[in-house]
Amino acid sequence: MEAMALRVGVAGIGWSGFSRTTEGTSYKELMFEAARSAYADAGVDPRSDIDSFVCCSEDIEEGTSIFDEYVPDQLGAVQRPVQTVASDGLFGVATAVMLIRSGVASAVAVESHSKASDVVSLGRVDRFAMDPVLNRPLGVSPTALAGLEMRRWLHVTGRSESECADVAARNRAHAATNRRASYADVHDPTPLFDPLTREQTAEPADGCVVLVLTTEERTPEGSVFIDGVGWSQDAPSVESRDWDRAAAAERAARAAYDRAGVEPGDVELAEVDDTFAYKQLQHLEALGLSDLAEDRVNPSGGALGEGHLREANGLARALACIEGLRSGDARVGLAQSWRGVPSTSAAVAVMRR
Amino acid sequence: MSPTKIPGELSVSFRYTPGVGNTAFFEGLRDRAVFLGSRCEDCGVTSVPARIFCERCLAELEPSLECGPEGELVSWTLVRVDVDDQPLERPVTYGLVRLDGADTVLLHRLLHTGGEPAIGERVRAVFTSPREGSMLDVEGFAPVADGAGP
Amino acid sequence: MSPRVAVVGAGMSRFVRRAQETGKELSWIATREALASCELKLDDVDAVCLTSAPDAFDGVHRKGDYLADGAGAWAKPYMRTYVGGGSGVFTAIQGWYTVASGLADVVVCVAEEKMSSCQPHPQGAFLTIFDNILERPLGPNLLWIFALEMQRYMQAYGLDKRDIAQVAVKNKRNAAEHPAALLGQADITVEDVLGSETLAWPVQRLDVSPISDGAVAIVMASEDAAKRLTDRPVWIQGVGWNLDTTYWTNRDLAYPEYVENAARMAYGMAGVNEPRKEIQVAEPYDPFDYKELHHLEGLLLFDRGKAPEAAADGVTARDGDLPCCPSGGLLGVGNPIAAAGLMKIAELFWQLRGEAGARQVPGTPERGVAQAWGDLMQVGTVVVMGNGGGPLATATQSPPFAPRATSLSDQEFRSATGAVEQRLDTRYEWDPGEAIGAVLDGLREQRILATTCISCGRTLVPARKFCERCFRPTDGWTEVPHTGTVETFSICHVTWDMRPLDEPQIPAVIRLDGTSEGGFLHLVGEVAPDDVRAGMQVEAVWKPAGERVGSILDIEYFRPLEPELRRELVAVAAVELPVEIAP
Ligand SMILES: [Zn+2]
Repeated sequence: MEAMALRVGVAGIGWSGFSRTTEGTSYKELMFEAARSAYADAGVDPRSDIDSFVCCSEDIEEGTSIFDEYVPDQLGAVQRPVQTVASDGLFGVATAVMLIRSGVASAVAVESHSKASDVVSLGRVDRFAMDPVLNRPLGVSPTALAGLEMRRWLHVTGRSESECADVAARNRAHAATNRRASYADVHDPTPLFDPLTREQTAEPADGCVVLVLTTEERTPEGSVFIDGVGWSQDAPSVESRDWDRAAAAERAARAAYDRAGVEPGDVELAEVDDTFAYKQLQHLEALGLSDLAEDRVNPSGGALGEGHLREANGLARALACIEGLRSGDARVGLAQSWRGVPSTSAAVAVMRR
Repeated sequence: MSPTKIPGELSVSFRYTPGVGNTAFFEGLRDRAVFLGSRCEDCGVTSVPARIFCERCLAELEPSLECGPEGELVSWTLVRVDVDDQPLERPVTYGLVRLDGADTVLLHRLLHTGGEPAIGERVRAVFTSPREGSMLDVEGFAPVADGAGP
Repeated sequence: MSPRVAVVGAGMSRFVRRAQETGKELSWIATREALASCELKLDDVDAVCLTSAPDAFDGVHRKGDYLADGAGAWAKPYMRTYVGGGSGVFTAIQGWYTVASGLADVVVCVAEEKMSSCQPHPQGAFLTIFDNILERPLGPNLLWIFALEMQRYMQAYGLDKRDIAQVAVKNKRNAAEHPAALLGQADITVEDVLGSETLAWPVQRLDVSPISDGAVAIVMASEDAAKRLTDRPVWIQGVGWNLDTTYWTNRDLAYPEYVENAARMAYGMAGVNEPRKEIQVAEPYDPFDYKELHHLEGLLLFDRGKAPEAAADGVTARDGDLPCCPSGGLLGVGNPIAAAGLMKIAELFWQLRGEAGARQVPGTPERGVAQAWGDLMQVGTVVVMGNGGGPLATATQSPPFAPRATSLSDQEFRSATGAVEQRLDTRYEWDPGEAIGAVLDGLREQRILATTCISCGRTLVPARKFCERCFRPTDGWTEVPHTGTVETFSICHVTWDMRPLDEPQIPAVIRLDGTSEGGFLHLVGEVAPDDVRAGMQVEAVWKPAGERVGSILDIEYFRPLEPELRRELVAVAAVELPVEIAP
């Protein structure tokens, strides 16, 4: 496989929303706003300068089947190559990297959004991702899987519940200075799925993120580059997955590090999945970043602090990481996502400035 | 002003056939109160419920190996809210059970009456009667120490 | 110049009406056969690409994750892409860029659909593809949009239904030689198609490929790996894909520009300058018979409006000058949506190796094109494949060689042990946003509002806050007249879940006066079905003030502007479709 870093540039970033609700703004309008600011940041006109568009969404989350029907207009993508990646936004980043590396595109826009406030019953959406004959008949909330996994992980690693509580408190403290954060002030130790508590569970938020990725030649000097991507998943079945570790994140990270030609010790900034507080610790372990300084992990406040953007969560992590690298806080950064219960899919992007 | 939010739903229902592997598994539960699994000799992995293919190497498997009904508790959680995040009147304990002879786990209710479950604890399936061929043919898993069983 | 990528193996399940197998098991059947066809083990595969059309068919949210094990993706890089009905061909494009990027050497591409899970009828899932606020309240079904497009196509070029029906005949006859086919019929005639039940005029039952269950897989490899794996790699020479505007009621449905755009992209990459001379076999997307013709024109293989004539002359027959759908296509093999698209890639693979057996097209074809289509008549996906002029095999058997899948009768399906029934119980409170919010307020006040773009000078209906052509915010609001023209229409006899209607519905695309191509989907009423014409002037009939709530249904329907054409709707005999033959 390639030993050379991938060198796909981040030419532009844009976002909209990042609040508990975005009343009076439709998902199309949210997308238009984020896309406009990403294109302005990149200095491109989508009608002529973007070769390919990648949207990351899932039908039932949107309440519309074949949701990709509804994306091109507000992205400037009409009569252009557009595709949906039915996954988290970081899988879209990996797709953009492949499109660029294959030579079929030199500039790609990647979009993902959450209009979670349109969904009355997010838990029922997630439940429909469980096996229809083996799991759903039990009637249990899919988030019970997080309670089961957390207890198992604490047991296997010897970590403590208070370490997890510290993660939640720390991320929310980080979020206090993040203008995109909606959940900086949550202190609710109510148990939900013992040992998982409410304050250790990220709450949903609305928002949209758009990235413009370009070939090395088309990327201005001094930009952030995506040098490694990796994605993987463990067994989809509750029955046969590995309950002791974040196996998919481990594999995704290994691929991303190898492609970037870096080791975990080179990473100075990490925005990782913290859908549940224990997942941040588990993911850091999978990424080989358990020793990274606390102020270098989710300085944005993560999904616990910002609010969880559902399938856009990976792009929210990437956005925060890119901003950190742009500000000069670090030279090598990493963004990681996990698709949440009951999924085992994870993706990693390693970036350099 | 018109309503600021438009209520909606996706007006479809589903009928899921359990597939070839799960049909054998459910028939085992219904007719004989046994858990049928399948073993891939190449990968050395035994899966319960039975599968017609090995997910690691795609070999074709026979749904023929009986596992359990006892096993080991891999993890457990006390579920306090429902799928809509509303508090349950009576919390329910769920567990992951690795049946004897299997490398995989089953998600089901735990029927502990006194004391907390413990990871590593021995548990045993409690079957319902009559049985229809469904995950609900198993009522749950009870501690072996309670003497629950057939 | 992109790196060379080849298809080196293919396999598929049988296409059946109702499979006992789960979607995972169907995917496994196809993946296993594809790997066996090129003597690969799963360990040899670097990454897996998957596609499947709406989750509302299988009834599983995040269907990609769910299907991972059957697709052989355990612990591998794995992703599901999705472009509606265009997905099946697109997954070969996904496989192409996954390999061409250098991130993988050998990939498996899998396309799966298990539509039979969807109740009360799988066609019901298509209700959920329409605009949640402006279209779904009208109760549209999928046949509407096909009928509207087919009518527009026929009207634009003065086509005869007989010329279109022969496509269904050709494909169902071709499929008689396909071992995995659901609908092969060697003795079907044009009269059978023309005599089948009218569902939504001009669409009749045998114009349509019915819902099915099935899966298809192919193996793709980098140039080095391909040469190691086979003597007869079939190269991916060009890929193209293209998505048109969501606002399908603003488009001329007579011609699929997006297919042309995708074709030009793929031909450009393949170095094909004269497709009519350089393409020897085609697998255009044929979920309805007219679509094959429509797509052949979009693929630049025939002049606009001329494909039916060529088909009538036998040009597209298996032994014609340009064999089209030698597989039997969706009309003959079946239509498990995403799987059916990838089946076309598999067919080109077999044809270009000379392995298609009884389905083999004559001569020594060097290059073929496969195409799929989807969304709201909106997306085109195109792949050009070639054998580089290598020698062809001579096969006595027709692939796939042992396609599996257990077909259940309706009764077996209803009584299957362990089957689970569940309603999709998710609920939404959709935010119409600023633009549609204002439109709904307008409707409540008996006004039809539009936005304007001063840059391109258009008046936009349905209103939006952005001009998709100029990619800029719109500039203001204007009110448009309540009158317009019927651009195209259908006379529909069935509901969205394929139950017979007591009285036909007349869905139409209404072009509103004073707009630029602006209009929307609505119903025509107070008219005899036989009197409706494209180009007919109509006006909105509103609900009384007290009953208007801010909904597209505040307009009850559109009626002829000419009072002499107005009359009560006359009830006609409803079509009763036995469950086994309903599309
Ligand atoms: Zn195996």
